[in-house]
Amino acid sequence: MRTSYFHIACLLIVAIGMTLIVFIYSTQPKTLTEIATKGSVAIGTYEVNRGEFENGLAAFRRDEFEAARAAFDRADPEKRDAATQFYVAYSFYRQGWGRVSNDNDLFTKGLSAAERVLQLDPNYRSADPQLGLKTPTELKAELEDGLKITVSDFNPLKVTRERK
Amino acid sequence: MTHDETVRSEDLVEAASESLERPRKHAVLSETELRRYTRLYVVLPIVFLLVTLFGGMRFAAADHSFLFLPPPLICLIFGAVTIFLIFRARLIEFESWFNEQHPILENAANAGVILVIFTASVQVYNLLLPETGLANWVVTALFVWTLWNDIFADFDQKKLLRSLAGLFAIAFVTKYLVLSNLAVKNDASWLQRILENPGKEAATWFLDLPVYSPATGYLQFFTILLFLFGLFLTPRRANTKKLPS
Repeated sequence: MRTSYFHIACLLIVAIGMTLIVFIYSTQPKTLTEIATKGSVAIGTYEVNRGEFENGLAAFRRDEFEAARAAFDRADPEKRDAATQFYVAYSFYRQGWGRVSNDNDLFTKGLSAAERVLQLDPNYRSADPQLGLKTPTELKAELEDGLKITVSDFNPLKVTRERK
Repeated sequence: MTHDETVRSEDLVEAASESLERPRKHAVLSETELRRYTRLYVVLPIVFLLVTLFGGMRFAAADHSFLFLPPPLICLIFGAVTIFLIFRARLIEFESWFNEQHPILENAANAGVILVIFTASVQVYNLLLPETGLANWVVTALFVWTLWNDIFADFDQKKLLRSLAGLFAIAFVTKYLVLSNLAVKNDASWLQRILENPGKEAATWFLDLPVYSPATGYLQFFTILLFLFGLFLTPRRANTKKLPS
């Protein structure tokens, strides 16, 4: 064996080790599972857990929004899938929507989720026929509208409107 | 061609082929060299990289999840001073590790080892310094005082290792035995904590101590041992061959 093999091995160990350490300290994983997930994001093999996504979708359609969001979080722990995050934002909208008044806390969380979808995929369009709002821009506008207090909020006919 | 000329030309061919084979024989490492190179270029980088990884690692008190704390600037300064002390005490002989007569690859590999020793020493100070509050200021001041004195002290390798081990031991006891026992760890309400243990609550508030899981202390104890073991393994000379003057 030649000495240069050891020198090359040393340089490789140092380079790979330092990259791994910088990656861990910059991403701040909290568990070993998170290290694996963040690693898969970094090397481009990250995928949404389809089973958990389907569970979340089923719960969303039953109006069980908290269970739906928990399933969506398990499906997309790194919040990198536009479709999953769109459903998360939509679940905040539907749970927070009220015929007389909206839940501002839930609408605010929905707004940040909708903004996340816009960052992930600005051209995202849902193919789900059961959703009244198809794009994150429409959902964002609806959530922003719900957070504002305007004269139209005092219109008694407002109670006849439907959730989208 | 006479018989004598034939014999002479055969001798010349033999001598030429021997001189061609000699560098090849030199390139093959003996068992001792193999072990030495494995220790220097494989084991040492791994040991110091592990120290670098674990030095900033803590476990949260609430759910034992990982926390990775990057080193503050002062730790980089302490790390640089430690490397200076290592060279000054000739724990590492600079001219043997870096020399223009060595191949570039060898100098680069040696620089890689020195780099991981530096990052490991930075992280050792990161693990020893209390993260916030009054305790951080006091321990930082004591480290500055000790390292400043060390710069001017007359050191050899053994004295340096003993000095570093002593410094790390006292700082470890201060942080992970004394201060951590002063910090309140339970999830009770503020009023309940004051009623149950006013002294600890006052110390936690006054010293502004972060609370970690006890597993943190165990991990950091082995990290310091690993660092000192790494320094112990570090050879004084990277290259055993005598350099021509």
